Amino acid sequence: MKRTVDVSIPLGPVHPCFKEPARIKCETRGEYVIAAEVELGYMKKGIERIMRGRPWQEVMFLAERVCGICSVIHNMVYIEALEAMTSIPVPERAALLRVIVNELDRMQSHILANFSYCYTIEHETLAMYLLDIRERVMDELERITGARVTCAYIVPGGVRFDLRGEDDLHLRAALAIIEEEMTRYLQMFATGPLIALRSRGIGILTKDAAREAGAVGPTARASGMPETDRRLRHPTYQKIGFSPVSRDEGDNYARIMVRFEEVLASIGIIRTCLDLLQPGPIRGGGIPGAGEIAYSGEAPRGELSYFIRTDEAGRVLDISIQTPSIMNIEACCHAMLVGVASLADVSSTFVSADPCIACTER
Amino acid sequence: MSGYLYQNDLSSMKLAILASTRHDRMVREIASELGIPQIRLRKRMMDRFDMLLLENLPARYEQGMREREQAPRPGRELGAGIYTRAVPLILEDDMDAIAGKVRLMIAEGRPHEEAVEAGRAMIRELITR
Repeated sequence: MKRTVDVSIPLGPVHPCFKEPARIKCETRGEYVIAAEVELGYMKKGIERIMRGRPWQEVMFLAERVCGICSVIHNMVYIEALEAMTSIPVPERAALLRVIVNELDRMQSHILANFSYCYTIEHETLAMYLLDIRERVMDELERITGARVTCAYIVPGGVRFDLRGEDDLHLRAALAIIEEEMTRYLQMFATGPLIALRSRGIGILTKDAAREAGAVGPTARASGMPETDRRLRHPTYQKIGFSPVSRDEGDNYARIMVRFEEVLASIGIIRTCLDLLQPGPIRGGGIPGAGEIAYSGEAPRGELSYFIRTDEAGRVLDISIQTPSIMNIEACCHAMLVGVASLADVSSTFVSADPCIACTER
Repeated sequence: MSGYLYQNDLSSMKLAILASTRHDRMVREIASELGIPQIRLRKRMMDRFDMLLLENLPARYEQGMREREQAPRPGRELGAGIYTRAVPLILEDDMDAIAGKVRLMIAEGRPHEEAVEAGRAMIRELITR
């Protein structure tokens, strides 16, 4: 159906503010955006097809290569799905270590997302501060898992490496610094008048629109949907008394603030886990066998689901991955961007949803 | 009205999205409920939806199916919420008109199932024309 509009403006696929290529086709009446459409296909990996027919051990390494930013949660959800399918127990110490690593991964992902947003609204100072503190989180991730990005830390029945005594001390010291710095940056963001001009009341996603598109993660929680947090249904998070962060504004400001607050919440979760850690085994053993399962976990961007079918030898016969960015970018383009009063706000609104094209295209 | 200087043919990539396990299952379910050949339904989806909406269709469809139970009749049987909002194959105005006709048929004494089937035929007509 053709619509009469003033101008059709494409943004991307190559855009200085986008981390990955995507093309947003905006139909505008003057500066006012009346519709937006997204073109993908610039970095399709076809990773689900590559996974099919391979043994679970190979798929484990492929799973964390779906996305370089949230690789830990892909590893965790895939392995926990296999464990749930074949009833493999996980020692308590390993379950807590998984949460620690997962929360560190969430912290670095949220800080990177907020860096991107600040950079997009031209607040480069705060953006660079955030990028700097992210390195400290990455260092801790590397100290525990042995790698910055593709760690393959979580294995069936446990984790690959234990947390040594000096790692515990180092992590607690780093968390104190990160907390202090992030609190300062949160205040800078929350009280900055120019930040407010570019962020408050812009790119509003109502609760109904969020529900219809199936928005998840900080994007949904910024629109007043705390129940979308999958950590509420995870046994280890339930044990440590987790409660999700939520706001009601639904605008760019709320989405960034939710991520800031979640970073601080993650620090609290890691401290609780460190306090609860008792000496004990980190690997219980167990080999995945035949079965079929749908399993979800909370990635930094929201609910990540794996649908897996395996045979007796543990070979993956069929696999589908539903990443949170699919729902969030769809909500962004078909709800948040519609009605944006200025074209200049299109890129910042898009970035505020923390779009991951690598996840979306897989 | 201005156009785009650079336009890519996305058909093959859209088809690749619809060929995935969950998309295929969803297409089969909708096609069997409405009595439409799968290939026609895929074509309609590829023509109407952008790539992102196509990627998100299984999640939207599952959400729509969950909400379907609470919808009033005959919209529930016709899948009014699913085919207008979750998987927007037809416009809401068209669906309202179809639901109105079905309600009228029921009021005139036509059996409920028969009226709903007639409504489905109208949806089918809209999708395949």
